[in-house]
Amino acid sequence: MFERRLFFHVDWLLLAAILLLMGIGVAMIYSTTYIQIPEPGRPGSQFYTQIYAIGLGVIAMVVFLLIDYRKLAESSLFLYGGLLLLLIYVLFRGSTQFNATRWIAIGPFNLQPSEFGRVTIALMLAMFFGENRRGARNIGDLAMAGVFAGVPILLIARQPDLGTAVTLIPVAFGIAYLAGLRMKFIGILALCALVLAWPAWHFALKDYQRTRIITFINPDLDPQGDGYQQRQARITVGSGGLVGKGFMNGTQGQYKFLPVAHNDFIFSVLAEEKGFLGVLVALGLYLFVILRSIEAARLSKDRIGAYLVGGIISGFAFQVIYNITMSAGLAPVKGLTLPLMSYGGSSIIATLAGFGLILNVRMRRFTN
Amino acid sequence: MQLVVAGFFALLVVAFWVFQVAQHQKFREIAENNHQRRLPLPAPRGVLFDRNGKVLVENQSTVNIALVREVSGNIDRTLTLLAAATGADEAKMRETVSRRRREPSYRPIVLIENASPPQLAAFKARRLELPGIIEQTVPARQYPANEMGAHLFGYVSEASETDLTRPEYVGAEAGSMVGKAGLEQAYNKLLMGTDGDKVVVVNSRGREMALARPETLPTEGHRVQLTIDADVQRATEEGFRHFGYNGAAVILDPRNGEVLSFTSLPAYNPNRFAGGIDLASWKELTTDPLLPLQNRALQGRYSPGSTFKIAVAVAALEEGVVSPDFRVFCPGGATFYNRYFQCHLKGGHGSVDMRHAIEKSCNVYFYTLGNMLGVDRIHKWASLLGLGEKSGIDLPNELKGLVPSTEWKKTTREPKWYPGETISVSIGQGQVNVTPISLATMMMTVANGGTRYTPHVVKAVDEGKGKGWEPVPPPPPQSVARMKQSTIDAVHEGMWMVVNAAGTGGRGKIIGYNVAGKTGTAQVISLTGAKIAKGKMDVRDHGWFIFYAPHDKPEIAGVIFAEHAEHGYLGAPIAKFAMETYFAKKEGRPLPMLPPLTPPPARVVATAAQPVATTAQIRQ
Repeated sequence: MFERRLFFHVDWLLLAAILLLMGIGVAMIYSTTYIQIPEPGRPGSQFYTQIYAIGLGVIAMVVFLLIDYRKLAESSLFLYGGLLLLLIYVLFRGSTQFNATRWIAIGPFNLQPSEFGRVTIALMLAMFFGENRRGARNIGDLAMAGVFAGVPILLIARQPDLGTAVTLIPVAFGIAYLAGLRMKFIGILALCALVLAWPAWHFALKDYQRTRIITFINPDLDPQGDGYQQRQARITVGSGGLVGKGFMNGTQGQYKFLPVAHNDFIFSVLAEEKGFLGVLVALGLYLFVILRSIEAARLSKDRIGAYLVGGIISGFAFQVIYNITMSAGLAPVKGLTLPLMSYGGSSIIATLAGFGLILNVRMRRFTN
Repeated sequence: MQLVVAGFFALLVVAFWVFQVAQHQKFREIAENNHQRRLPLPAPRGVLFDRNGKVLVENQSTVNIALVREVSGNIDRTLTLLAAATGADEAKMRETVSRRRREPSYRPIVLIENASPPQLAAFKARRLELPGIIEQTVPARQYPANEMGAHLFGYVSEASETDLTRPEYVGAEAGSMVGKAGLEQAYNKLLMGTDGDKVVVVNSRGREMALARPETLPTEGHRVQLTIDADVQRATEEGFRHFGYNGAAVILDPRNGEVLSFTSLPAYNPNRFAGGIDLASWKELTTDPLLPLQNRALQGRYSPGSTFKIAVAVAALEEGVVSPDFRVFCPGGATFYNRYFQCHLKGGHGSVDMRHAIEKSCNVYFYTLGNMLGVDRIHKWASLLGLGEKSGIDLPNELKGLVPSTEWKKTTREPKWYPGETISVSIGQGQVNVTPISLATMMMTVANGGTRYTPHVVKAVDEGKGKGWEPVPPPPPQSVARMKQSTIDAVHEGMWMVVNAAGTGGRGKIIGYNVAGKTGTAQVISLTGAKIAKGKMDVRDHGWFIFYAPHDKPEIAGVIFAEHAEHGYLGAPIAKFAMETYFAKKEGRPLPMLPPLTPPPARVVATAAQPVATTAQIRQ
């Protein structure tokens, strides 16, 4: 199954960048969750959990690297079915935290099935468009793709977890774009979205979602309430300065002015403790990972591989850009993690599985 | 696709650059405010001593019980438990908490000021059930003598925002304790000291995590030695209480203007302000018809009555209008400008000279002098003696009395001064009014022969830097009018006779000390007949007694103003007791005791008289 020469085609540089980003993430998690009292203090449990998750994630990555991606794509229907079952199970039997039902408790661990949505949908759609022999893509194909992506998106949005649901959309669009979807359709869809925005605002969005958008536009309206996170995010980033306050010396993250610092706002903490220079390094690494992955899509020997990589990396890029924008207080606060850096086992495992597939496609570019 | 992604990243780099480099300073400050809290460490105020080193005003550490809301889980339950344990008023605590609910939740809210030892013990025993309840030790101003000298010392209370703009409160911040009256206000800057502070690092819930920098310790305010003699002060106030009067007294050293005793009664207990006065007590003080918050010695303006004759006598002699031997025949009244003016003795004093006119307080004699002088020369000399002027004492909010003149008359609605008005003025009636401090100043100036020293209460200051007491140079005199020896002799002799011969001041006599004095009766003039009819106000006249001693070498001089005493001579025993105390102390004899009241005072203040009557009835 695994030929020895494939080993030489593994993209070690991409792998190194990924590991470096995870390393930075772990360091920031260590910093923000360190328990100071009682003296002399000890690392928080999140630090260890994250390391275990990375271990599991690396195993997942190896698994998704070793199995030929075409085989995986062929069985994507089963994976997709499994995903839907899990999501439905979550809706009825999931465990609830922070007013959202997103998790399945497995012993001491909480599995978040929605995190695996991106990889599954990327496989599913890559298969769908890649196997389709006809040349041009028509509305029918697009509608089918829309249904494939739409069902899990709706299921996830019901949890409610709008953030994660939204990240599935770029995956679908990325693949559709590579498969030849004309920009015209995207334009039409954007128009539809605008038209639908008004009823959505009044009927589909929940109150807390509406206030998030309002306070995004004017965070000073309610500095202690909903605008709080945004304001604190800006303060955290801005107070970091050029070189930062130093590792574990941040005040905003350390004294918990910034909520969920180890999770959604991990990048703000990096900006605070490592400053603008640290931000440049991390942004550079992310940019490298994305561009390198796009290159892998281009090098792919078949359309399935290209679509698969394109879909995964579109979702990844969207999430990275959105989260970093949010961590500077420049986007509405959503429960959206920063892939590779944020705390979260399911997220790390799913992301690494996705990169396993990207490495897989690049590695097998010469094989038949 | 690569370009789109690279474009987004470029925008992010710009955004982070704007926040982290361009606006770094602004955000750095906000972040610091976020996590650093400055907690003032209040400085103890400077201790006040009397002229002999006796402590008059000090500080005491008091313990407050306070609530920190962010730590307290269930505030309702906590308050109920605390009220049950300590017996404190639960409704009042709730009101306090609700009034201050907008303050940050880490800031303690004081629930029980100056908690008693049993309250503290009760709290400590149940500490585990009372999360968020803490005890705070704060220096609080302490007035060991309670009401004694209240108007002299003043009181302290929390500075309001508007207070902070006043010069004497420079360096204070909102919420710090500042002097609001008396010495505490006048010398606030000296007494206040410098608060220290402690900057702590707090987390988002307000919990203190560490010290941001070493704490700076507070510097105690300067220690101040007063010119006041605690025993004379106490004797004066005891005298008033003993004889049942309210009023005011100022006793000076005529050789330099040092204030030995300064009283205004009724007074308040400044200790009630020290920990923050509650609304009910404040209301009680401000609505009391006896006006305990009014500093009568500096702000009360009353008709001087016959004490004004001293100023007229000095004016007539100094202006050379008459000699001490100038005689006037008093038939019991005289006519000036077609109007008949009575003397208080119906049968008349017969032929009197200056000395006897003072001794007997003969109105006709002084009508005659006033008529010869004219109002402007009376005004000139009254002013030189301090009447109608501010004494310049180093206490706040002094008011001026009024001695009329033709110049003054032009500022009123009737522009002309009629010579007939001078006749009333020359016996201290009509438009004239004076404050007790200004009358004390006149007495001092007449006693020392014309130097109007500035009354002052601060003698020395100790900055606390190890240099010890540094004398404060006395302020320069307000005016100096070198009186002729013949004037001094005549007036002094007349005043000596008031006390020691056939005058009205016999009750001030102290054998061997040659007390000199003059009584006066201040009509409660501002009353209309309607008000009298309603009987809502006490309309009995006020009594004045001005005095100095010894006659030949004055070293103590002052004024007793006895409210509604009806006769000036009724104030004289208070002066006598204060002077006896002064001389006894000076000569190292045991301090005098007040004589038992025989007969009981004719009419004590109504409120004081009633309980006595009730007890008597019960006994029957």
